[in-house]
Amino acid sequence: MNRPIGVITALVLIWSGTAQAADPRYPDWPCVQAKVPEISLAAVWAGPPIDDVASAWKDDVEVGALVERLATRRVPVEEAQKAITDFLSRSPDKARSGKLIFAGLFDSLNAQRATVLAGLERVTRKQREAADRVRADTAALQALQSASPPDQARIDELNNKLLWEARIFDDRRRVVTFVCEVPTLIDQRLFALSRTIQQEME
Amino acid sequence: MMNRSKMLCRVWLCGAATWLATAVPASAFLAYVSNEKSNTVSVIDTDSWTVTATIKVGQRPRGIELTRDGKSVLVAVGDDDTIQIIDVASQKVVDSLPSGPDPELFTQDAAGKVLYVANENDNTVTVIDLEKRVRMGDVQVGVEPEGMAISPDGKILINTSETTNMAHFIDTATRQIVANVLVDARPRFAEFKRDGSELWVSSEIGGTVSVIDPAKRVVTDKIEFNIPGLRREAIQPVGIGMTRDAKIAFIALGPANRIAVVDAATHKVIKYLLVGQRVWHMAFTPDEKYLLVTNGVSNDVSVIDVAAQKVIKTIQVGELPWGIAMARP
Repeated sequence: MNRPIGVITALVLIWSGTAQAADPRYPDWPCVQAKVPEISLAAVWAGPPIDDVASAWKDDVEVGALVERLATRRVPVEEAQKAITDFLSRSPDKARSGKLIFAGLFDSLNAQRATVLAGLERVTRKQREAADRVRADTAALQALQSASPPDQARIDELNNKLLWEARIFDDRRRVVTFVCEVPTLIDQRLFALSRTIQQEME
Repeated sequence: MMNRSKMLCRVWLCGAATWLATAVPASAFLAYVSNEKSNTVSVIDTDSWTVTATIKVGQRPRGIELTRDGKSVLVAVGDDDTIQIIDVASQKVVDSLPSGPDPELFTQDAAGKVLYVANENDNTVTVIDLEKRVRMGDVQVGVEPEGMAISPDGKILINTSETTNMAHFIDTATRQIVANVLVDARPRFAEFKRDGSELWVSSEIGGTVSVIDPAKRVVTDKIEFNIPGLRREAIQPVGIGMTRDAKIAFIALGPANRIAVVDAATHKVIKYLLVGQRVWHMAFTPDEKYLLVTNGVSNDVSVIDVAAQKVIKTIQVGELPWGIAMARP
């Protein structure tokens, strides 16, 4: 019983020791991928300026509904691209509609991305607290074990607590590795869809 | 009689079918794209603009080139510390070459007999006899050698080193470094004008392309890039392509997701083309009608109409497309 806990807590402590952010500007950033706080407009758009339609996309019911669907990652990119092509081919003012859709997508996906980024950093802070707890509980356990006579009931209780703490910690760590891919997936989606819009507008 | 004419007809039809089959793809070339993350090479038919084959290769394929005889495609598989040979006819890996550790880019001499390989991990350029497929020797260069180019007269080999920020001039006869030219941070790629009058070297971190006079061995001009709305560090020049007449050059700008179209005579940027995410290397079709560029993050290849200076197509390939080479089928 003691050994697996020892191994797990060691892992937790190694994690908390090595999980220093690569970029000093973002101490809570847990991913190996570099943190890019937001997608810049010019990286995905070479079309006409969109300042004039900045928030107008929200007032257009049809565009709003389309943007919501396009921004849903569950919808495959190919399907989203087809929806853009269909929508723009029916539009009487392709240039304006294209700009509206893009402005909507840019806002929505950047917001989605910001939520993911904030979530990742929140998890880092939680993990740090959890690592502190594991460290304190491990020390307490060692103290209990070396006491004579040892209080077996309390040792078992603390052991159990540590086991749970370590498991939660490990699960979170696995989820983080997976979620770290999400900002790139959003970047790819925004780029692919804005390219389709620009091609349709040409 | 009936039978005979039927037979003749069949023969004629058969002949026509063969003629059609060979005539249609006459304009088509095959582009070989190395996919760094999927460990494959995608083959694109430039007639249908589709991927017609995916070849499994070694770990981390990057630099890729057609041999001068047109029979093989060489691909550096860095994590396997070798260069693999793909047979164009069978589209299969048939052999490998003895490079040093972590080969990345390479170049051949004009005759296609000698291959020079930049080995990123041990600060050397390996010289390989392409016919015998044996190692002839090594040249010690700067830290993290990367870009490779050979002068049109075959006398000088250029190697750029990422960390030392230099273009090394190597005498191909003596295999000694004869000059070093300092360029901006992290030089990535080197390209000569066909007449040998200029050598261009891209600097990924410096964000510039240095124009070097190969005779005087000095930097004579620097091409800079400015894209409104993009931070400077997002502009990372890597791949360079120049038309044979040395009139127009195309420069891949990495995470700026753009290709700069440059007047190769005046060194002025004419326009920027939005291609895919993290655009890296490129290759012209042999007729120079099209330029194909690899986009590492969007996992695709953009096709540029060279005369119109417009992107006309996007083709999905494997994960993290890196290099590209063009062959005739």
